[in-house]
Amino acid sequence: MNELPPGQPAPASATPEGDRPLTRKERQIRKVRLHLAMTVREIFEEMEKDPSRPKAMAYFDDIFRKFMHNGEGVIKASDDQKVVGTYCVFVPEEIIYAAGGYPVRLCAGAHDSSEIGEDFLPDVACPMVKSEMGFAAMPILDFYQRCDMVALPASCHWKLKMGEMLEPFDDVHMLDVPRVKESEKARDYWLEEVKRFQRRVEKITGKRIRRRQLRDAIRKIQRAQREVVRFQNLRKTIPAPILGRDALEVLNAYFYDEVEDWTEALRALNEELEERIANGVHAAPPRAARILLTGSPMVFPNWKVPFIIEDLGGILAADEFCTSQRYLSDMVSVDEGTMGDMLMAIAERYVLPCACPTFSNTIERRDRIARLVDEYRIEGVIYHVLKGCHPFDIELKIIEQLLREKGVPMLKIETDYSPEDVEQLRTRIEAFQETLKGRL
Amino acid sequence: MNIQRLRLAVQLLSFTVLIYGGLFAIDLGNRLPTFACSYVPDHGGGCFLVGFQHMLSRPLPEFLGEQGIRLLKALGIASLWAIVLNKAWCGWVCPIGLLQDLLTKLRVWLSIDMSRFSWMTRHRYKSVKYILLALLVLIPLGIGNGLISRDWTAPYCQLCPARPLLPLFRGDTTQFAINFLSIPTMLLTGGAIILVGLMFTTSFVKRRFLCSYCPMLAFLSLFDKIGLFSLKKDGDKCTRCGNCYRACPMEIREIEEEKTLKNLVTQDCILCLRCVEACPENMALEAQFAGFSFLKADAEAFLARQDAGAAGTGTRRRRKKK
Ligand code: SF4
Ligand code: SF4
Ligand code: SF4
Ligand code: SF4
Repeated sequence: MNELPPGQPAPASATPEGDRPLTRKERQIRKVRLHLAMTVREIFEEMEKDPSRPKAMAYFDDIFRKFMHNGEGVIKASDDQKVVGTYCVFVPEEIIYAAGGYPVRLCAGAHDSSEIGEDFLPDVACPMVKSEMGFAAMPILDFYQRCDMVALPASCHWKLKMGEMLEPFDDVHMLDVPRVKESEKARDYWLEEVKRFQRRVEKITGKRIRRRQLRDAIRKIQRAQREVVRFQNLRKTIPAPILGRDALEVLNAYFYDEVEDWTEALRALNEELEERIANGVHAAPPRAARILLTGSPMVFPNWKVPFIIEDLGGILAADEFCTSQRYLSDMVSVDEGTMGDMLMAIAERYVLPCACPTFSNTIERRDRIARLVDEYRIEGVIYHVLKGCHPFDIELKIIEQLLREKGVPMLKIETDYSPEDVEQLRTRIEAFQETLKGRL
Repeated sequence: MNIQRLRLAVQLLSFTVLIYGGLFAIDLGNRLPTFACSYVPDHGGGCFLVGFQHMLSRPLPEFLGEQGIRLLKALGIASLWAIVLNKAWCGWVCPIGLLQDLLTKLRVWLSIDMSRFSWMTRHRYKSVKYILLALLVLIPLGIGNGLISRDWTAPYCQLCPARPLLPLFRGDTTQFAINFLSIPTMLLTGGAIILVGLMFTTSFVKRRFLCSYCPMLAFLSLFDKIGLFSLKKDGDKCTRCGNCYRACPMEIREIEEEKTLKNLVTQDCILCLRCVEACPENMALEAQFAGFSFLKADAEAFLARQDAGAAGTGTRRRRKKK
C-alpha cells in the first residue's frame, strides 16, 4: 500500500465497487482519511525544516508517517498474533506480551475522527474520547479494526461510559480501577481485577501465562524503561540536546511499536544524543525558556501546543502526560519472582504510584510536578486542559497553588483538537514566554 | 553492589562464628543482643538474655550493691552492641533470622507464593514483643523476691525457639525436649518446641514470622533513634509505588506511606535493606552507617539489578539472551 501517494485512501474498504455513488459513510471515511493524511504531512513538513534533528528520529517518523496510509504497518503484530487494544495507563502490558499478544494503545488525538465521535457522545465530551470513538466506529486506521479485544479502564466518566458505546465495534473488557487506591481492600480488589484481565487475555490468545513468560515480559518492559531513564536524564542537559516535541514523538511511538524494537531505536537515539552533547550540538539555544507541559493528554497528531512553544523559541523541557512521561516512568519490581509476587508487582505498578487525576488524591501528581520542576530546571509551566476533561481541570487549583509556592509561573490553556484556536494560543503562549524571558 | 548477596554472606559467616566459633577459639562474650543461643555448647558468641534474666532474679535490695553493678555492666555491653549494629543484628547476624531467610528461599524455590497478615492483624499484634520483653524482666524480679516459683527461672529462655534448635547444629539434642518437671516448665519448654514447629511451617507461607514477636527486636527497637545504622527516606522523592512495602519481610507499611518522617528505622525494621534495593526512585531511600551513606535508591541501578534477576531471594540469574 505504501506506494500510494500520501492522502490517497487505501483501495480496500473505501472505494465503492463499480460506479456506485459513495454512501454518506464512505464519503465521511474518505474525507477523514484525507484530512488525517494532510495533517500528518504538514507535521512532518514542519519537522523537516529543522536541520538539526537527530538522525535517529527517522525511525519514529516512519511509524507516524504510516498514519497517512490508513495506519497500515503501524503495529507489528504478526498475522496470527492477537491484538489487544488498551486505553489509559492502567492496562498491564506485561500480561498481554506474556500471553503472546500484541498491545496497542488506542488513545487518540485526531480532530477529524473526533467529529465522527460526536455522533455518539455529547458535544461537551472530551475530544480524546470522541476521537477514539470515531476511530473505533469507522475504518480509518487499520489497527483500530485489528483489535481482538480492547481493555478499557474505568478512569474518568467519559471512559467509564465509553465501554458500552464501544461494544458494537469491539470485544470490550472493562477494568475497574479503584479510585481511593491506597486502602488495603482496594489493592486486593485491583489485584483481582488484574487476574481477571489475565484470564481474559489468556482466553483470547489461547496461551496460559507461566512464570517464565511473565518474567520475560516484565524484563522487556524494564529494558525499555532503562532507555527511558537514560533518555530523560539526557533531556536534563542544558542546552537541550533534543526538542520536546521530538521527545513526545518518541514516547508516543511506544503506543504502537513492538517494545524491543522501540527500545533499540531509543538506544540509538540516546547514543546520538550523547554524541551531540559531547560535540556541543543542541536543539535549542542555551537561554531558551524551559517549559513543562502538564494536564490533559496530548496524542499524535494533536501536537499544536508543543509546536507553538518551540516555534516561539521556548523549549519543552519535560512533560507530565499520561501519554508519555507518566506512562513509562513507574516500574515493576520483581521481588521473589513467584507468580503471585509478579502479578502483585504488576498490579501495583499501574495504580499505586500513578499520578492520574481520576484518583482521589493529588499528592502523587503534586510531588511529581515539583520533582520535574526541580530536576529539569523548569522556568514556566503550561497547564493544558482539553475541553470536557474534568479531572485535570479540577486539579488545576491545587497545582497552581503548588507552583505559586515554588515561584514558577503557570499558564492555563483550554483547547480541543481543532486547529481553529492556534493563532489565539500562539498569542497567549508568546506573551507567557515573554514574561519568562523578562525574569532572567 | 548487590546488598542481598552481601547480606546472605554476612549472615552465613555470622552463623558460623556464633555457633562454631568456639572451635576456632573465638569468643565474643555472652552479651550479644541477638539469638546466638548461649545454650549452644562451646559457642563463639552468646545471647545476653540468659545471663540478664538470671541477674534479675534477686531480691530488690541487692541491686543497690554489687549485683546492681553487674547488671548494669551486662546491660551496658548489650546496649553498646545494640548501638553499633542496631537492627542489623536481626537482618545480618541473628541465626534464627538466617534460618527463616533460608526457609523463605526454599519456599520461593518451590514457587509457593507468600502471604501477608491483614493490616489490622499486623497492627494488633505489634505489642506482643514488648509484652514478652516486659515479662522477661518482671518474672525474674518476681522470682528473686519470692513472689513467683523458681520453675519460671529464665522464662524467656525456656520459651525461646533458639534453645532447642541451635544446639542441634553442634549435635547437642538435649535441649530439644519438653521439661516435665512442673506445669510452668512444661508450658514454656513445650511452647519452645511449638515455636520451632511454627517457624518451619509458617516459613512456607510468610516471611520472618517469629521476628514480629521477638522480644530481642523489642529490645533493639529502643535504640532505633541512636543506632549507628540508619535508614533514611526523602518523602518528596517517593511515588508511594509500594515496591518497598512488598519487598519488606517485616510487612512495614510506613516505609511506603511515610512522606514526612526522615528516619525510617521503625520498630519492626530489621535493616535488611531490601526496601532500598526495591525502590526505583532516585534518592527516595538511603541507608547510612554513622552518617556515611552506603546505599541509595537509584533508578538505573534498580533496573540493572532487575535485569540481572537477582533482586530478591528468588529470581535466579538466567543466562542473558540477546
Ligand atoms: S534461649 Fe533464646 S533468649 Fe535464651 S540465651 Fe538462647 S537465644 Fe537467648
Ligand atoms: S527479631 Fe528475628 S532476627 Fe531479630 S533477634 Fe529476634 S529472631 Fe533474631
Ligand atoms: S519503593 Fe521508593 S518510591 Fe516506592 S513507595 Fe517505597 S520509597 Fe516510595
Ligand atoms: S523497612 Fe526495609 S530495611 Fe526495614 S525490614 Fe523492611 S525492607 Fe528491611
